Amino acid sequence: MHDHTTELELKDRLNLIESMIAEGRRNTERWGWAFVLWGVVYYLAIAWSASGHSVWAWPVTMLIAVIVTVVVASLQVGNHPGTTLGRAIGSIWIALGISMFLLFLALGLSGRLSDQHLFVAVISAILGMANGASALILRWKVQFACAVVWWVTAVMTCFGSNAQSLIVFLVAIFLCQIVFGVYGVIGEAQERNRRGPIHA
Amino acid sequence: MPDLPALNPVVHGRLRLALLSLLSGVEEAEFTWLRAKTEATDGNLGAQLLKLEEAGYVAVEKKFVLRKPQTLYRITETGRQALTEYVQALKQLLGPAMDA
Repeated sequence: MHDHTTELELKDRLNLIESMIAEGRRNTERWGWAFVLWGVVYYLAIAWSASGHSVWAWPVTMLIAVIVTVVVASLQVGNHPGTTLGRAIGSIWIALGISMFLLFLALGLSGRLSDQHLFVAVISAILGMANGASALILRWKVQFACAVVWWVTAVMTCFGSNAQSLIVFLVAIFLCQIVFGVYGVIGEAQERNRRGPIHA
Repeated sequence: MPDLPALNPVVHGRLRLALLSLLSGVEEAEFTWLRAKTEATDGNLGAQLLKLEEAGYVAVEKKFVLRKPQTLYRITETGRQALTEYVQALKQLLGPAMDA
């Protein structure tokens, strides 16, 4: 058999194995839409709270975002097989979602969301933790860059004025939610279009 | 010069190799997911999965979810071993050409 098997064919087999294993483990890029959704929701919550309804802005927007995320995710996950890696990353984000939801719901309803610096620092640190953990598991440099941006935001917001803190937060949301989410969506679409059918 | 290893013909088939590789990265997978990932036809996919099943490389479980039939495939330990040995043989055959 080896006489007829070209080196090119053998390399093709090796590439096929690598791409298929990667395909099976590909999970995070399918969540690009969620990053964009949450980025938009953060902007809406900030705009709403700036208009004078700060008590309800965050709890209501977060609740709507959670419902939309759960509904879309349950429809999306249906056909996708489970992996240990996927479950590990999923657990991080579910735990983050529960922590943020409970924390900001309680802070919002108790009227203790008044310290903007503390609020931005906490939310940024939590997002930095989740992005950092996911990035380290996936060995994904782009997502790790997002984690660094969130950590820098968490530190920077502790200093400077309210306006500076808000600007840093808005920029971090744009880079780490909107841009990163769109990057994920495009990456997934390109991957879908690149590969042709595999024949026996 | 050492003897070159033989490639397992069951694993060597392009679609079968893709299926084993896909299954090695997940716990179990539905037929429809495997079809979407490989873009193979139902007939071809079914035939290749049957060959892998007959070789003991994949295990099949059929069940009903919300009254809809669902066929789940997972790689067996024998299948994982066969894939590992195939990759080792491939690397040995390619030798220095792997870096080229």
